[in-house]
Amino acid sequence: MTSLDPPHQTPPQTPRQNTRLKQAFGRNAPLLVVIVLIIAMVIAGALMTDRFLTLRNFTNIVEQSTGLGLVSLGQTFAVLTAGIDLSVGSVMSLASTLASGLIDKDVAQAAWVIPMVLLLCALIGATNGLLIHQLGIHPLIVTLGTGTVLQGLTLLYALSPVGGMPRALEFVAYETVLGVPIGAAIMMLLFLAAAVFLGHTRAGRDIYAFGDDAEAARLVGINRARVLLTVYGFSGLMAGIAGVYLAIRFGVGQPYLGVNYTLSSITPVVVGGTMLSGGRGGVLGTLLGVFLVGVLNNLLNFLQVSTHFQLVAQGAIIIAAVSIYVDTRRSRT
Amino acid sequence: MLSLSAIQKSFPGVRALGGVDLDVRGGEVHALVGENGAGKSTMIKIIAGAYQPNAGTIRLAGEVVRWSGPEAAKRAGIHVIYQEFVLFPNLSVAENIMVGNEIRGRFGLIDHKATAAAAARILDRLGVRLDVAAPAGSLSIADQQMVEIAKALVHEVRVLILDEPSAVLSTKEVDLLFGVVRQLRAQGVAVIYVSHRLDEIFALCDRVTILKDGLKVATRAIADTDHDGLVRLMVGRDLAQYFPPKAANPPADGPAALAFRGVSVPGRVRDATLAVRPGEIVGLAGLIGAGRTELALAAFGILPMTGTIEVKGQALRRADAQHLIRAGVGFVTEDRKGQGLFMNLDVARNVTGASLSSYLRGGFVSDKAEQIAAREEIAHFAVACRGPAGAVDSLSGGNQQKILFGRWTRACRTALILDEPTRGVDVGAKSEIYRIMRTLADSGVGILMISSELQEVVGMSDRVVVMREGAISGELTGERITEEDIMKLAAQSGRKAA
Repeated sequence: MTSLDPPHQTPPQTPRQNTRLKQAFGRNAPLLVVIVLIIAMVIAGALMTDRFLTLRNFTNIVEQSTGLGLVSLGQTFAVLTAGIDLSVGSVMSLASTLASGLIDKDVAQAAWVIPMVLLLCALIGATNGLLIHQLGIHPLIVTLGTGTVLQGLTLLYALSPVGGMPRALEFVAYETVLGVPIGAAIMMLLFLAAAVFLGHTRAGRDIYAFGDDAEAARLVGINRARVLLTVYGFSGLMAGIAGVYLAIRFGVGQPYLGVNYTLSSITPVVVGGTMLSGGRGGVLGTLLGVFLVGVLNNLLNFLQVSTHFQLVAQGAIIIAAVSIYVDTRRSRT
Repeated sequence: MLSLSAIQKSFPGVRALGGVDLDVRGGEVHALVGENGAGKSTMIKIIAGAYQPNAGTIRLAGEVVRWSGPEAAKRAGIHVIYQEFVLFPNLSVAENIMVGNEIRGRFGLIDHKATAAAAARILDRLGVRLDVAAPAGSLSIADQQMVEIAKALVHEVRVLILDEPSAVLSTKEVDLLFGVVRQLRAQGVAVIYVSHRLDEIFALCDRVTILKDGLKVATRAIADTDHDGLVRLMVGRDLAQYFPPKAANPPADGPAALAFRGVSVPGRVRDATLAVRPGEIVGLAGLIGAGRTELALAAFGILPMTGTIEVKGQALRRADAQHLIRAGVGFVTEDRKGQGLFMNLDVARNVTGASLSSYLRGGFVSDKAEQIAAREEIAHFAVACRGPAGAVDSLSGGNQQKILFGRWTRACRTALILDEPTRGVDVGAKSEIYRIMRTLADSGVGILMISSELQEVVGMSDRVVVMREGAISGELTGERITEEDIMKLAAQSGRKAA
C-alpha cells in the first residue's frame, strides 16, 4: 500500500487515569466479582469450621463441581453466540443411561460404547445447530424441543437406573493427582483448551464475532452454519461427557440425571460474565462461576441447612453477582 | 397558520440550521425541498417539538409557541407522518386510529362499537374506504399510511407534515395519497410536503421552500417556477475545495476490478450492469430507495440476486461475502453499527475481522501479528483511540469509519464498495476520508462509492452511474458530472436519459 499522510494528525486521546482503571476493571469486573465472592466464602468457611480449609474438603469441592463444569463449558459456547442450549440436561440423561445400559459393568464394552455415545451426543448437538440455521428458529425453542424429545426417548429406553458402569473406571472420579481428582483435572484441561480455541483460532474468533453482530459477521465472510454446528455440536459433546462422567461416578446411569442441569448450567456462565446478548465473556469466567457454586454448596452443607436452601442461595447469587457486574458496565459509559 | 422566523439549530460541531424562515398558510400544500443534509429533517423536528431551536420563534395561528416536546406540538394540532409507520400490526385499523383515545362506555370499559364508528367517520373524512376491523398489519403500505394520517385526524389538525410520503408508494397509490392531501387542504389544513420527487411537487403543491446547507434559498409559488429552475436553486453552489484532485490519467483498459453484469434483486434492482476499473472512483448516485445499497448487499450474499459479479474479469462462482473477500473485494457498509463494527470487541479484533487468516501462525491467531496489524492501521489512518485493546463503541463516527477502512484495506486490494462513506462523520474527518479514498484509488484499487450527497459524488467521482427506481438511468463522465445532471437522472421520470 502506498503511504498515506494523514492531513491533520489528531493527537491520540490521553485517557484520564481513573478512566483507564475503571475500564480495566469494567472488562474484568465479572471475574473480580466472582473471585472476591469465592474468597469471602472461603474465609467464612474457615472461620466456621476447621474442617473447611483442608485438602480433603478441597478435593471434595472440585469433585462435586466436575459435572456442572463440563456441561457449563459447552453452554458457554452457545451463550457466546447469543444463543442457549436447553437440551444439555436431556443429553446428559441420555448419555448416562445409554452408556450404563449398554456397558452393563463390562469394561470391554466400555471401550467402544463410550466413544460411540459421545459421538452420538456431538451429532445431536450438531443437529441442534443445523435446525437453528436451517429453520431460523430461536435456539431456545429448537433446543427446548430437541431436549424434550431426547428426555422422552431416554425414558422409553429405561424408566429407572439401568445396567451399570465397570468399577475399573471409577478411578476417573475418585483417584487424585496432587489432590485433584482425575475427572476434575480433565475438566480443567478442557477449559484451558477451550480458552485457547476461542481466543486464538479462526473458528473461535468467528464465534465471538458472530455472537457480537451476526450481520457484520456475515459481511466479513463468516459462515453462519459452521459457527452454529461447531457451537451446538460442542455443547452436545460436553453434555455427553458430563453424563458419562456422572454415570461412572455414581456407578450407574440414570434417566433423570440431567433434569436439574439444564438451567444450572446457565448459572456459572452468566455469573462468570458471559452476556446473554452474545460476543462478550469467556470460559475462564465460567470456570470461576462453577467453583463459586461449588464452594457455596459446600459451605451450606457444613451449615447443615436443607439442600433446598442451596437453590435459594444459588438464585440469589446469580442476581447479586450479575447486578454488580451490570452496574459497573453502566457506569463505564 | 404556521410561521417560523430566524430558526437556528446547532449540534455539537455542526450547524444544521442557520436562521431559517418558513411561512405556511392554512389550506396550502407547501413543499420543502433540498439535498440530504440541507436541514429538512431538522426543520420538521423543530416544528414537531422533537428538537428545541437554539434561536428563533415559531408562531402558530399568530401566537408565539414553544414546545416542551412532541406531545405539546401534537396537542396544538401539529402532526407528522414519518416514513416509518408506528402501527400495531396485530391491532385492528380502528384500534390503531383510536389508540389512546378510545371511547369509553359503562364502567369505564372501552366501547368497541362506538370506537370503531368514530374511526370509520375519520376515514370517511379522508375519503378512504377501509375495513376498520382488519388488522393493520394486513393492509398494504399505502393503506397503512392512510391509517397513520387518520390517527392524526382524531384530534384537530392544523398542520400536517408528510416526510417523503411517496417514497414507499406505487404510482397508483401516490394518486390516492394526493386525493387525501387535497381533501385536507380543502378543509383548511396547512400541509408541509417533503419530497425528492420534483414531479410530485409540481403536481400537488402550491408553494415551495428550498433549503440548502441549513439556509433558506428561496420560497416560490409553484406557478412561477419550473423543473430546471427548481433544480438549480437546490444545487447551485461552489464545489468545496476539500476534495482531492481527481485521477490524473484515465483508467487503463483491461478487465474491470469489479463488475456487475445483469444483476437483478427481486423487487429492488432490475438488470443492473456497471463496471469499476482499477484506480477509478465510480460514484453510484440516486435517491434513497433507488436500489444502490441493495446492489451491494446482493453481491455480498445478503439479498438474493440473479446475474453475475466479476472480479478482475473472472465471474464469481457464487455471490457471497466469502467469495468476494477472497477475490479482494471489500464492503464498507452505510450501517456502521448494525452491519459494520463489532461494537463489543476491541479495536484490534475489529481491524483484523476480515483478514484473520493472515495472522495465523501454525493454525493459531498470533497476538503479536494481530497487534502489529492493528497498530499499523491506527497509525496509517490516524485513528484517535486508546490503542489496539481500546473499545470501539466510544469512538467518534469518523474514527469508527477509519477502523472499518483499516479492516477492509487490509483484507481487500482489488476493489472496495463504500456505502455512504462519510455518513455521520464530521467535516474534518470527511476530508481525511476523501484523501484516503483517492490514495487507495491511486494505488490501483477500484472504488464504487454509493453516496446520497451530491456534492460528494461530484467532488470525488471519476465517473458517475445513476440509479432510479431499481434500474440504472444513466452514466456521466468528465464535465457532465454536475449536480443538475445527476438530479435529472435520479429524480425525473418519463424522459429517458441518454
